[in-house]
Amino acid sequence: MLMALVRRLTLSFLILFMVAVFVFVATEVLPGDAIDVYLSADDLAVMSDADIEEMRQRFGLDRPAWVRFWEWFSGAIFGDLGKTLIDGNDIVDLIWHPLLNSVILGAIITAFTLPTAFIIGSITGYKRGSRTDGAVSTLTLVGYSIPDFVIGNVLIILFAVWLAFFPAVILVFSNASTSELLAVSLLPALTVIIGHVAHQSRLLRAGFIETMNSEFVERARLSGLPEKWVVFRHALPASIIPMLNSLALYISGLLAGLVVVERVFGYPGLGRELIEAVARREVNVVQGITFWSASFIIFMNLLADFAIIALDPRVRSAKSA
Amino acid sequence: MPILEVKDLKVGYVDVQRQTNLAVDGVGFTLEKGETLGIVGESGCGKSTIARALMGYLRPGGEVLGGSIELAGKFVFDLSPSALQKLRGEIVAIVPQNPLSSLTYHLTVGAHLREILQFHRGLSAAHAKTETLSLFEETGLPEPETIYKRYPHQISGGQRQRVVIAAALACQPAVMILDEPTTALDTTTEMQVLKLVKDLRKKIDTAIVYITHDLTLTNYMCDRVLVMHDGKTIEQGYADKIFEQPKEKYTRQLVAAIPRVDEPPQREKIAEEQLGFKLLEVKDLSFAYKPQWSIRQMFRKIAPKIVVKNVSFNIRKSETLGLVGESGSGKSTVANIISGLQSPISGEIYFTNDLLHPKGENRPPEVLRRIQLIFQDPLSSLNPRHRVGTILTGAIMGFFGVSRREATDRAVVLLEDLELPIDFLKRYPRQLSGGQQQRVAIARAFAANPDLIICDEITSALDVSVQAQVLDLLMAMQRKNQTACLFISHDLGVIREVSHRTAVMRQGLILETGETEALFEYTKNNYTKQLLTAAQRRDYIIEHHELILKTGSNSPRKMPFQS
Repeated sequence: MLMALVRRLTLSFLILFMVAVFVFVATEVLPGDAIDVYLSADDLAVMSDADIEEMRQRFGLDRPAWVRFWEWFSGAIFGDLGKTLIDGNDIVDLIWHPLLNSVILGAIITAFTLPTAFIIGSITGYKRGSRTDGAVSTLTLVGYSIPDFVIGNVLIILFAVWLAFFPAVILVFSNASTSELLAVSLLPALTVIIGHVAHQSRLLRAGFIETMNSEFVERARLSGLPEKWVVFRHALPASIIPMLNSLALYISGLLAGLVVVERVFGYPGLGRELIEAVARREVNVVQGITFWSASFIIFMNLLADFAIIALDPRVRSAKSA
Repeated sequence: MPILEVKDLKVGYVDVQRQTNLAVDGVGFTLEKGETLGIVGESGCGKSTIARALMGYLRPGGEVLGGSIELAGKFVFDLSPSALQKLRGEIVAIVPQNPLSSLTYHLTVGAHLREILQFHRGLSAAHAKTETLSLFEETGLPEPETIYKRYPHQISGGQRQRVVIAAALACQPAVMILDEPTTALDTTTEMQVLKLVKDLRKKIDTAIVYITHDLTLTNYMCDRVLVMHDGKTIEQGYADKIFEQPKEKYTRQLVAAIPRVDEPPQREKIAEEQLGFKLLEVKDLSFAYKPQWSIRQMFRKIAPKIVVKNVSFNIRKSETLGLVGESGSGKSTVANIISGLQSPISGEIYFTNDLLHPKGENRPPEVLRRIQLIFQDPLSSLNPRHRVGTILTGAIMGFFGVSRREATDRAVVLLEDLELPIDFLKRYPRQLSGGQQQRVAIARAFAANPDLIICDEITSALDVSVQAQVLDLLMAMQRKNQTACLFISHDLGVIREVSHRTAVMRQGLILETGETEALFEYTKNNYTKQLLTAAQRRDYIIEHHELILKTGSNSPRKMPFQS
């Protein structure tokens, strides 16, 4: 049992390291570096190759990739993401507020998505083949099939252009107050929620149907137990466990969704910050954001694993047996 | 007045094309109080559908098309949902086939019984617990207090079966349905469970519907027997009569298809003088599982688990060597070692006098072709995404480098040899029945034109009549291709039918090897004698198993029934 946890943790750190390497390599192979982007065409016209080279040396970009990587990584594991290349700003300061904003948005989405999906999924799964199921399943299929950026733009047209309830483009600073953020986050949140509720409820429906057809549910029914007991005591707990398993996919899907909607709505979150950093070739910022996102996903996965260990007696005793 | 009366029952299932297929077609029977009726038939004959219909339950897609079931004076199909709920558990209870998947894995074993007692008998939680513990004791579960807190996967197969029996007994139902209650258990445990059911029946006044595919068991377990085929009643009558003097042709075939350990084989084997040179020789083979890597292992030496110990035997050309033993005796490991799937820790394998490399991937392709393996479960050993044609021609082209046309011609011959229709080339494995799948698996093995085939329990999952056919075809293929065979089975009757010589294995050791007929008639080895007696006189063994086989801690205790 303890061994399994230690192994999981070690593996998590290994994955984290590989993610860091991968992100570094990925930004490294992009053509051009921060200097090329920072310097305008005019700058380039007046500067000689030697000047540019000297500037590169000043920012430390001439050193071999692995040295720069190590310098960055050794700080990152202790929470120091370094400074931006050009302006020398502290990266943690730079992304702290966008991070909080994204967490707020993600929390709103999750707090709505998971319970709703759970209810929709179990009801449609239980009433499989009924008219309710048919209608809801068609809706979820549609919701699941439309990409986030399409939903986002449709919502903008609907609620911002035609009905004018919300602003079409969000104009708040990244360090805006929570109440201000809540007001502007509704539309982006709704965009992600539609797709995710659809997806998660379909997953849960499928899992629930499988559980309802299982032999242990049949046995419970054949023992003449009330339907409520069969569903709530036997079937539902058995379908939560597969849902936890898919949590990893949900979290990474959520982060991807956030990047898209923050871009579409201009919401001052981590996703928007990431896209801007890529455009500026601010390798350290890109790495910082991806590193933190990856850590978050890995951490949530660990949590899900622990939850499964707590809930599923078969996994719990697998090691001790 | 009978407790249960079934009249002209018709149940159908609606398939994908919205056509109704009759699963039960006009079956009728009665059951008196305290009587045991056996319903016997091969898989798919509708016996499990009847079991559930008796409780007013049909699996999804099922539909009652006619007839009636009267249970304790009530017509089951006319009951309201709440009346049906009371009926289930209180008047009729079922013991399902597979206790592991029938128990809810996230609930403790005790919780399963407690909820039944709380709901049906209105007991308080504490009272329900004491009652559960006494039910566990009645069904011979050791240490009821401990079992109570265990989860289903933490107890043995036999114990799980006792738990579901205890759950069925919870409200002392008037009728108890046992749906293949021992199919998932090994022989020793099966005997214990059957003995338990028989003992319980003497103590409580419950009528039993015993559903099984095993005709030999009904003679011991049942007063009367109903033989089913294709949803119809073939015949019914007293158990001993049906088994000794079956009236109907189908029942006679069924009885005849059971391989007997106490009679000389019905099939003709390849004559002794036609057996050729020594094809395979296995010397001092041993195998152990390496202990899993762990921190603990670095500090303390953990002994490897030895599964096969110094096994030696040989097989001649065209010869069949039977390897018999109970589950866990190491038979399958021997098969895997010879085919190179697992590497022995010591010992040598000679094939046509050449030493074989222990690892399959290091053997020359020609050797791989000449030794073929057939597994117990054909569905999981055939690629589900490939058509039968692709499976066969792919193997032929891979082994012989011939053109697709030539390969297809050979595949057609193989199908003909195995009496399968040629349009099967276009089918997927899951579209075939179990017996047909196994025949395709045999065709796949013979596609390599091997010198040796290793058959690992290839008929264990098949019905007796299908098993008979598969054995016939396998022997015909061997005769045609002069193929030697290592035939692994736990079924002594089957071994006697097919093998020239037999090796008996127990706990990784070969206890004895000898000419099959001599071994079956005159063995001196005690364990072999036990196996033979167990197979011949199952009824006797079930009564006296505690004296004959030492069963360890999970043997049932005799407990007086308290009600």
